[in-house]
Amino acid sequence: MTTTETVHDRIGIARDELTTGQLLAVFAFVAALTFTLLFLQEPLAHDSMHNFRHAVGVTCH
Amino acid sequence: MLVDYLERGVLAGVIAGLAYGLYMALVANPLLGYMETVAEGGEHGAHASAGEHVHAAGEHAHEAGEHAHAVSEATTAAVSIGSGVLWGILLGGAFALAFYFLEPALPGRGRVKTYVLAGAGFFAVSLAPWLVLPPTTPGAEQAFDPTFRSALYAGMMAVGAVVAAGSIYGYRRVSARSRPIGAVAAAVPIVVLVAITVVAAPTIVEIDAMPAELVTAFRGITVLSQAALWSLVAGCFGWLQTRAGVRPAADRRDDLLTSP
Repeated sequence: MTTTETVHDRIGIARDELTTGQLLAVFAFVAALTFTLLFLQEPLAHDSMHNFRHAVGVTCH
Repeated sequence: MLVDYLERGVLAGVIAGLAYGLYMALVANPLLGYMETVAEGGEHGAHASAGEHVHAAGEHAHEAGEHAHAVSEATTAAVSIGSGVLWGILLGGAFALAFYFLEPALPGRGRVKTYVLAGAGFFAVSLAPWLVLPPTTPGAEQAFDPTFRSALYAGMMAVGAVVAAGSIYGYRRVSARSRPIGAVAAAVPIVVLVAITVVAAPTIVEIDAMPAELVTAFRGITVLSQAALWSLVAGCFGWLQTRAGVRPAADRRDDLLTSP
């Protein structure tokens, strides 16, 4: 690892260390968790998180 | 290396999430329960006065109340606490991934970088969307349907990310010559976004059924709690990085330059 790293270097290191599949799995997991916590409108799940959604200031009702 | 960062981010997220879950249990759940009661009280007042607009607002509050009680209050409280913990873990994990890739581009040195990224994250995830969709209380009247508002919230997150990136880029470009001018360059995109939303954004959230002071206090505590959560994620992540012996590239470069 050089001492003058760039964002491009970091992407290169990540590519060397992990397979595309592993990277996709990480990003898909984060995206799915974000969607579930913030934007899921399924009534039971939505209502169960009612106080949480108000507390984090995410649009509700 | 990416996996190490992610591991520390998730661990920082667990610590921050547990603290946020505690906040949900001790502050947010009781406060929102009280505000539900106030909103329902507003509805009864509306029935007594029989004003058409107020009546409509009261009905909405009633609907909101019924909507909230589709599951039991105990379930809502428990799931909300659990969601608070998950929220911390999500922010910690996402923070670590972003930090791994963006660390070389962030201004500052050492742990300052973690706080810069946390500030940018807080701006993108919460502050920018709140310029259009401020935190709502129970019984609030809102324009547009929830799907559109969710899309708007997501869109403002993207706008916030671009503005935060622009702000950091502006600072990096100018601060080498003068830090004060760099700070001004960093502020420009943020001020422009705030000005545009103040002038152009429609009023989406209207809260009639609640005392204004209570709404202000609720919004204040919401902003502070989210800011505290991001700070905690950044603080714990920085501490874990130091503990693991990770040293920023700038420090390593300084060592090389000063060593004989």
